[in-house]
Amino acid sequence: MELYNLGGVSWWESQALYHALAYLGREGLILCYPTTPYVCLGLHDDLEQEIEQEYCRMRGIPLMRRETGGGVVYLDSYQVFFQLVLHKDNPLLPLRRDRFYRRFLQPALRLYRHFGVPAELKAPADIVADGRKCSGNASGDIGECVAYVGNILIDFDFRTMSRVLRVPGTAFRQRLQIAMREHMTVLADWLDDLPGYSELTAVLIEEFSGEFGELSPRLPDTELLERASRIGARLASSDWLSLPGRRLPYRRVKIAEGIYLMERRFGREGHLLAVVREGRIADLEVIGRSELNKGLRKAYIGCEWREDLLAEIPVNI
Amino acid sequence: MGEEWLVPEDLLYDRNNYWVKVIGNEAVIGLTHYGQSTTGDVIYLELPPVGTMVRRGEGFGSIESGKWVGKLIPPVTGEVTEINSRAATNPGEVNRAPYTTGWLMKVRLRDPSELESLMPPEAYREWIREQERLELEEGVTP
Repeated sequence: MELYNLGGVSWWESQALYHALAYLGREGLILCYPTTPYVCLGLHDDLEQEIEQEYCRMRGIPLMRRETGGGVVYLDSYQVFFQLVLHKDNPLLPLRRDRFYRRFLQPALRLYRHFGVPAELKAPADIVADGRKCSGNASGDIGECVAYVGNILIDFDFRTMSRVLRVPGTAFRQRLQIAMREHMTVLADWLDDLPGYSELTAVLIEEFSGEFGELSPRLPDTELLERASRIGARLASSDWLSLPGRRLPYRRVKIAEGIYLMERRFGREGHLLAVVREGRIADLEVIGRSELNKGLRKAYIGCEWREDLLAEIPVNI
Repeated sequence: MGEEWLVPEDLLYDRNNYWVKVIGNEAVIGLTHYGQSTTGDVIYLELPPVGTMVRRGEGFGSIESGKWVGKLIPPVTGEVTEINSRAATNPGEVNRAPYTTGWLMKVRLRDPSELESLMPPEAYREWIREQERLELEEGVTP
């Protein structure tokens, strides 16, 4: 398999290159990091619902929509990307696509363990350490290929992540930051001396070679770069970014696999915020009418989550 | 291996795990019970507008499950006459009731002879068994 160990690339190249490989029908592994920050939407994320566009404009944070699944992510140079492109008919791919994550994520899993972080796979596609997410991953059919993409979080800018997401208000944003910090972890939480890109990718290359066979290093050729340039322009175009996506009647932000922050408004200023963990309400907070907090928390914490549950909570008691 | 997959007798099937129910010159299309299982929990479904011409084997729309996104692959060629807006709004219907409320769309058949290449129920059951055997024994699909 071909290996493109690219180091720092432009923000758009960090997405466009693996798309280009896939559309060209070429298998390969790309390792890289974006030299400047950007926000990347999943294929079916709704721009209007998900992104605080004015904040991104003011901060000069560009937007892009990838052709793989998963949700909105804030990406920067404190993350190392590993992107694997395989033909759809590659015999390595099982019929059940989520099963491939187990194999795709082994190199990253072993990397964390190499540095002493007790990482484990959480199905279908998260790596967790001490129960907290430490790697984001996604996949999608692109052209005649399948792309599996993931990252190693050296550090993470939780504050900016909470600012780029469109949320109902300050309370939600603060709760989001807390929830992300509670349920995510980065290498910087575990190591005093952080490994650099070369050290991290040396481990990844060794582990990917062990998992998928010999890797042949090469540089991006003209065909790949030209295709990536066109794809990059499309993925960042306003038409593409504005495609309608998944819309919900309430605001929901996924924190990690199985963990969500939800909101329901009531009255003019009231909000219910609920943290749902593994299908059950783990925390509930009423913003705007604090006298409701105690009773509601007691009644609903631990309840199984249903789509209509927030709507039925008796906020007018 | 060993799970009992629902394969209704009155439908035809293809190797991408879609079912087809023929009613006159129309075909109702959906993902099979086995197909929805291999896809995983469907969280988003984008179906083509009515009037779209979809072609057998050529990807259309989009389906997202968990952390995977892919195309829907029509088992027959035809013009879309109706889509299941309930499933588009509640994609989980595709998992919960793939043969009833989880159907995807109806098409007016362009080439009814394509139906001859689809599998009858018993052949599809055998095909599932073969897929499961391959995956269990080799960890791969052919």
